[in-house]
Formats: sequence, structure tokens, C-alpha cells
Amino acid sequence: MENEISDLKDYKLSFHGEGKTFFGIIIVNWLLTVITLGFYYPWAKAKQLQYMYGSAALNDDRFAFHGTGKEMFKGYIKALVIFGLIYGILLLAIYFDYLYAGLIFFYFAFIAILPIAIHGSYRYRFSRTSWRGIRFGYRGERNELFVNFFKWIFFTVITLGFYSSWMEMNLRKYLLSNVRGGDVEFKYVGKGSDYFIMNLVGGLLSMITLGIYSFWYYKNLFAYYVDNLSLQKNGKEIQMKSTATGGDFFKLIILNLLIIVFTLGLGYAWVATRTMNFVFSKIQMEGDIDLDTINQTEADYTDATGEDMSDFLNIDLVM
Amino acid sequence: MSRTSAIYFDGISSTPQKIELILDEQQAELVFVTAGINSHKWDIEEISFEHIGDTLEIRHIMNTSSVVKVKDVDFISGFLSLLNKNGHVGWYYRLLHLGMKAYIGMALIILGLIVGGYLVVIPWVAEKAVLIIPLSYDMSIGNTFYNEYVYQNDIDSDKTEALNLFADKLNLNNTGELHFTVVNSSTVNAFALPNGDIIVYTGLIDLMKDYDELAGLIGHEVSHVNNRHSMKMLCRNLAGYIFISAVLSDVNGIMAIIGDNVHNLQSLSFSRQFEQQADKEGTEMMIQNHINPKGMTDLFKRLQTDEKVIIPAFISSHPITTDRIETINKLIQQKTYRNIYKPELEKLFRRVKN
Repeated sequence: MENEISDLKDYKLSFHGEGKTFFGIIIVNWLLTVITLGFYYPWAKAKQLQYMYGSAALNDDRFAFHGTGKEMFKGYIKALVIFGLIYGILLLAIYFDYLYAGLIFFYFAFIAILPIAIHGSYRYRFSRTSWRGIRFGYRGERNELFVNFFKWIFFTVITLGFYSSWMEMNLRKYLLSNVRGGDVEFKYVGKGSDYFIMNLVGGLLSMITLGIYSFWYYKNLFAYYVDNLSLQKNGKEIQMKSTATGGDFFKLIILNLLIIVFTLGLGYAWVATRTMNFVFSKIQMEGDIDLDTINQTEADYTDATGEDMSDFLNIDLVM
Repeated sequence: MSRTSAIYFDGISSTPQKIELILDEQQAELVFVTAGINSHKWDIEEISFEHIGDTLEIRHIMNTSSVVKVKDVDFISGFLSLLNKNGHVGWYYRLLHLGMKAYIGMALIILGLIVGGYLVVIPWVAEKAVLIIPLSYDMSIGNTFYNEYVYQNDIDSDKTEALNLFADKLNLNNTGELHFTVVNSSTVNAFALPNGDIIVYTGLIDLMKDYDELAGLIGHEVSHVNNRHSMKMLCRNLAGYIFISAVLSDVNGIMAIIGDNVHNLQSLSFSRQFEQQADKEGTEMMIQNHINPKGMTDLFKRLQTDEKVIIPAFISSHPITTDRIETINKLIQQKTYRNIYKPELEKLFRRVKN
């Protein structure tokens, strides 16, 4: 017991991004994107991610994103070709009067792309992220995710959507539990049943209270995400814990809304940095993993196709 | 030579190693020694760096997982000015450090480009696009709408017949076939579909006092059909939407929403332009048919006094009826016209109204 206490280490997550600097990045990116008729987009995205990741720090050492515009541009072109093919086949089917066959193919193709895009995005994002020179990585299997994803979608459809809470938890568990930073492994233990009840109660109370409860609902969702996440290494562990309250969420969201409205959207940079600051300052870490002894385990992975497909599909992946 | 203490991570473990970092301006290289007495010399041509907040992170391009972190302000500025002298500070870095005034300037330039593109390019593209789209497409859209929405309404067949006879007596300068439908409804409204179907509600007809008002309404709606206004609106909205999303896709969803609002403002004034054209051509049609063009303004005035709250759709999405009345009055003053009383129109008008 005494040993355990003396083994506890200090961890501090912080975010140092500033609205002003991020605003500059957004504006410069915007200018270049417009001038190049959109071709600059992958580079713009890389710069934004580099800034956001680089502004986040653990124990005062910053994270780094090494993805480049060039990698994302290649992925962008591949994604473009894949979506072009899917739409092309649909149009051909319509042209030759096989509308229903075309539509069935179209929807299947989109559902099939989702897990592939998520997988690719995770692999790329994490392998291009590092802390103290130690690369993160995602070791999920694409085919396994693919099969599971179809299974979950199937269950969700036949239960008229009721299964979606379980699907979300299964997906999150699979994805996060395959993430690692060097030889430190992530672990997520959320349960579909708890999550379902939380959504049910949260949704109902939010409706009854005309939205006022929604801030507490957000608080619960955030806590369920964070509190079930831990880091593991050789029997040692770091447990994450949310310290955010409903009142904190109320302040964050209302102020963000006001900024957006009164700056006609130009205040987005401040909203984004404030929000990240909020997230990082509301996560506490407790445990006994020595952050000075993490070993490099992951190789580089530079294919950004999944990342760009996710972009086309407009899926925003948290973490 | 400037020196500072820095932290080095070797890319093998996360153990921080304290090093003394030396910047050799003469040789243009960074020098440091790590445990195991490994001496490192990094040519500034072979490094990449990130300057975020107060920290400078330097990596070797051959091995991006090892990193040197420096916090010493003087050292950083010396390092940056050396890179600058050797032309290794990228244009992007320079662009990023121009300061707030420059950003706002850039934002204004982009907005200018967008607004310019929007006001000039989109209408032009839309006009050209309409020429390419075959008339049969107007027909099929119009027919679909008619079958889906108009057909189920309470159509008054006798009034419909009378209104069609009424329109037959007028020279409407129409290029395609026109077909009128009278719907029994208290709604004060009338609209034209791109296929030449024109739908008038009895709520609107009931307000009219004279057949020249009905002629004015017909002239106005027919002008919409003759000029393919619906298809032009569709093309403009579509082109506008594509333009806005192409320009703003990078920034974020919120910018897109603002863009959409701007876009709505634009299509509002755009439809006003169409409405004015329809007013003008409608009035000219009345003059051409020797019908008193005051019927057009009478119609508007009646709508103004009777319908304070609900603005009928056929005077479109804007309430500036007074302006339009004035514009029509000016037009009438410029023209010479002769009214001839037409009992057959009067008779048909009574039948449409009864």
C-alpha cells in the first residue's frame, strides 16, 4: 500500500494554443486555398493539425503532428478517385436503367467505406503523432473492424436503432484499445447498456427542461468518455478522470455561441482554442506509469487516404 | 557561437536528456553531445523546425523521431535570424508572422474576391447554364410539381375554363403553351411553373375588382414563364451553393452557414430583379392589348391594403410593394396607350370571379 502511494506520479495535461495565432493560420490557409482554387486544402489541413497538436502538452512537453500536405494531397487524390468511381458506377447504372441495383451498390459502397476510412484515418493520424519523439500508433485490423462494423450496423438496423449505443461503445472500445503511444497501451471500458441509459435519460430530461439539462448531459457524455479511458504499461496504469461540471459546460458553450454570433463566425479560431483548453484542463491523470521510460515501438505510416476519405464523408474523429 | 541548455529526446525512449546546444554560425550547424559521448552535428540545411509558443523544436530530416527542444528566447532569435540569413525560413513562416493587421487585410481581400466572384461569376454562369438546359427539363419539373401538389387541390373546373378563355383573348407573347388552373382556396396567391402551368387561387381573384387587374396578374406570371425565371433561379442557387461550399469548405461549418445567409440575401435581390422584369413585361403586355395598365398597380394596392400580414408569394419574398408600384407608374407615364373596353373580357372575368 505504501509502495503504491509513493509510486504515484504527477501528470499534467495542458493546452497552449492561442486564438490569435490560430486565427493567423486559418486566414493564411484560407487565402492560399482560395488563390489555388482549393488545391492548397491538404496543406492547409496539415498546418492546422500541426498547430493544434503542437499546442497540446503533457507534463510541459508538447505533442507533435508530422503529417505533411504532400501525404494528405496524395490521399486526397486517391479518395477523390474512389468516390469518383462510386458515383460513376451509380450514374452508369441509372443511365442503363438499373436504378435500384445502382442505389443498392451505392449505399453498400458507402457503408463499406466507413470502416475503411476510419481505420485508415486512425492509422495515419496516430502514426504521425508523437510525444517526446515517441510515435503513437493504431494496431487495429482492418478486416476485423470491417466485419464487426457490418455486424453492428446490421444489429442497429434490425433493432430500429436501439443498438446504436452499443455500436458506438463497441466501436470506441475497439478503436481506442488498439491505440498506443510507444509501449504504453490505451484501454477503454465503456459499456453499451450504461451508455444507452445515459442517452435515454439525458435526451428525455433535456427535452423536458427545454434544453437546460443538455449541459449536464454533455458533462455526463464527456465524463463517460474520459473516465473509462486509461493507459497501461507492464501492469502499471494511468487512469483519466473528468473534472468538468455541468456549469463548466454551460459557460463554455454559451460563451462560444456568443463569440461566433458577434464575430460573424470569424471568432472560430478563439472558440476552437478555448474548447481545446477546456478539454485539456478538465482531464486529470492519476497513476504510476513513469513517462520518462516509454520506448519507441511504432513505425512510420504515411498513407493518408483514410484520413482524406473521412474528410469527404465529414466524419470528425475525436482523438 | 551561442550556447544554451536544451532537452534532447533520442527517438528510442522518452527519457529527457539534458544537453548543451551550440549554434555555430560560421559552419551554419547545430552541435551537441549526448550520453555515450555521441557527438551530433546538424547542418541547418538538413533540419526542420517548429516554433510553437515559447518552444522551438528542431528535428533532423533524416530521423524525425529524435528532437531537440529549446526554450531560451535569445538562442531562438539567434537561430531564426541565422536561418533567415541563409534563406531557410520559409515563405509560410513569414506569412504567419505578419501580425493581426495583415490577417485582417487578408481576410478582407478574400472576402472581396468571394463577393466579386459571387456577384459577377455566378449570374454569368447561371445565364449560360440555362441556355444549355433543354426546355424539356423545364417541362418535366413543372409537370412533376403540378401532378404532386396542384392536382390534389380543389380545382374549380368552370372557373379554370373561363380563365383559360380569358387568357386566350390576350396576346401574351408566349413561346410555349400556357395552361391556367383556378384552385378554390382562401389563400391569396398565384404562381407560375416552368412548364407554362399558371395556378391562381380564388383568394386572390376575390380581391380583384376589375378585369384589367386579372390581366395584370396574367401578364406578370406569363413573363416568368417566358423568361424561364424558375430555371434561372435554380441554376443560380445551385451555382451559388457550389461556389460557397468550394470556397468555404476549408474554414469550417460556421463560415458555411454565414455564407449561406449571404447567399440567401443575394437570391432575394435576384428574385426582385426577376419580379421587376415580370412587372415591366406584364404592364407592356397590357398596353399592347389595349387594357388599362393601371390594373397592375391597382392589384398591388389592393394586396397592400387587404393583406397587411401575409405577403402573397407572387409578389415574392420581399415587401417593397410601394417601390414596385412607383416603378410601374413611371413606366406607364413614359408610354402612350389607348384603352379599349372589352365586354367579352368583362364577361369572362365575372365568370372567373362569381
